[in-house]
Amino acid sequence: MACLIQGFVTNGMAPIMAEQVHNKEKQRLWVKFSQLPATLIIGGILVGFLLCIALLSFVWTPYDPIAMNVRDRYLPIGSEGYLLGTDRFGRDVLTQIIMGARNSLFVSIISTLVSLMIGTLLGLYVAAAGGRIQNIISRTIDVGVAIPGILVAMVLATAIGPGNLAAITAIIIWFIPVAARVVIGPAVQVLSQDYIEAAFGYGRKKWFVLFNHVLPNISSTIIVQASVMFAAAILIEAALSFLGVGAQSPIASWGRTLKEAQPLMEIAPSLMVVPGLAIVLAVLGFNLLGDGLRAYLDPQQTRKR
Amino acid sequence: MIQKPTNLSSMQSTSRRFFRSHKVQQLRGFISQFFVLLLSALIGSLVVFALLRLLGGDVAYILLGNEATQDQVNSLRSELGLDRAWFVQYFDWIKGFFTGDLGTSFSGSYEIFDQIGQRLIPTLLLAFGSLFVSISLAIILGTYAAMNADNAKGVVTDIVSQVGTAIPAFWAGLILVVVFSVSFGWFPAGGYVPIQEDFWGSLRSIFLPIVALSLGITSVTTRFVRSAMLDVLNEDYIRTAMAKGCTRKRAVFVHGLRNASIPVVTVGALQLGNLLAGTIVIESVFVIPGLGQLLLTAVNGREVIVVQSIVLVILLIILVMNFMLDIAYGLLDPRIRDKRNGANHG
Repeated sequence: MACLIQGFVTNGMAPIMAEQVHNKEKQRLWVKFSQLPATLIIGGILVGFLLCIALLSFVWTPYDPIAMNVRDRYLPIGSEGYLLGTDRFGRDVLTQIIMGARNSLFVSIISTLVSLMIGTLLGLYVAAAGGRIQNIISRTIDVGVAIPGILVAMVLATAIGPGNLAAITAIIIWFIPVAARVVIGPAVQVLSQDYIEAAFGYGRKKWFVLFNHVLPNISSTIIVQASVMFAAAILIEAALSFLGVGAQSPIASWGRTLKEAQPLMEIAPSLMVVPGLAIVLAVLGFNLLGDGLRAYLDPQQTRKR
Repeated sequence: MIQKPTNLSSMQSTSRRFFRSHKVQQLRGFISQFFVLLLSALIGSLVVFALLRLLGGDVAYILLGNEATQDQVNSLRSELGLDRAWFVQYFDWIKGFFTGDLGTSFSGSYEIFDQIGQRLIPTLLLAFGSLFVSISLAIILGTYAAMNADNAKGVVTDIVSQVGTAIPAFWAGLILVVVFSVSFGWFPAGGYVPIQEDFWGSLRSIFLPIVALSLGITSVTTRFVRSAMLDVLNEDYIRTAMAKGCTRKRAVFVHGLRNASIPVVTVGALQLGNLLAGTIVIESVFVIPGLGQLLLTAVNGREVIVVQSIVLVILLIILVMNFMLDIAYGLLDPRIRDKRNGANHG
């Protein structure tokens, strides 16, 4: 206040106006922020939190993830020194969850990125090919979409042995047709626009047009799809490691933590609650983020609904 | 001005009319769909077969371990028929698959074909039971959410379905067991009573697994029903129906549901793949002797033939369902049928 009065004395009205303008700017930002879809904000917070935890695990975890402490077995949630309790080996559950977040994100990020890249290329190619090729590949993709990822993972686990590699490869194979199918529709639509014809008329090559004109116009669809695929990848990673087909010991994984808790459900049911909640929050975060991004990037489509 | 058609062209147009007629077009569509089904099954079986042969390494080595001599390996290979050319093995497998003779498992403990047949029943019960439960529930919940889209009831339904989508089926299963079996003791914690032995006992044993499986599928499908319903509610014919004196509810149930059912059927049939995958996990939670449990043991024991046969069975179920879905489309919506068959309604 004092500084304001001083400013008033020396410069007349200017600082007050500046203050008002500043306030208005702030207000406008706040309005802009409050107009963001709630799903985007909540999803963003959940996903951001998950990312932070996973990154944190590289520099710090509450305890050594594989250290056992037989004296402190089966401590309940909220015990002193062990925020989320301990498991049957006396390992800290919070540490397991943090390490599990790292594995979950590792698997889902790699598989989603790789499959999105391949799927987008395939989708663009098919959309531009037209005619019989488009027909045949689209049909194949339709069949591919219907094949469950766990089944692919089972085949791969038999072939190359269970582990993260089998899980990641399976998710990639499972996702490629999904990504391609999402790309084909919007890409065909964009390709029928006048500016595409203009670009071709100008003498541009096919892939130049696809990358410089089609891809930017369908990027919002791809971003939303990426978020949804993250969620699906986290779910299937958990399911695979629960079945013992995914990450193997000593890599911590939410699914395996649940598997280990299953025979103990009568002694320590709380051991099952925490990893499950972690999965739910992570998947919910990415799903909400996807919904929010869809509403934010493509408002017309959402308003129609 | 108008030329009289010559005899020849009128004959042509008659035959063209015949080939464009409704029934023939429908039949042609049907046949081409069936062809796609067969081709997909063929490609799928070849891919699975190739993956297991190319990536899997030598099964004989894996079974015998590192210390086996070359002679032992060779004799096991010929015993298992692995020394034959790949296409002989493939055709032998396919022939066995359809004639009911897949041989015994490597460990020699069971006849593969009979085992798969026995295990199929609980798995199908689980999958179709949950499909039925979740689609019926989703239609009710989704319609409810769409009709209340602008008030608190709709928002609550939205939030519940959003959270439900994020809950993994196997975790839901574990929690259900803890609550309803361990604490309350209302349902068995696991195991399966064959349906031909004790109907009610069987239902009791698959009740919790079906609930766990349905949770996620219901949530996903509810969201689809909701958005399909919202689209339909904006259509002119709903307004027309209400202008003619229909109540909003009646307009929705009589005119809306059939129109909204197309996306629902699509999602429902696509979910079948997820459901069959879900049963693999759920069977592991509830210790149900279904296909999934057999598949898991086979994966761990590297039982190549068992794995590829089960995968082919599941693939065939999914493909046949998709085939039926394509036919169902036509029945639900004449517009799709005609568009696909190239007829012009103008």
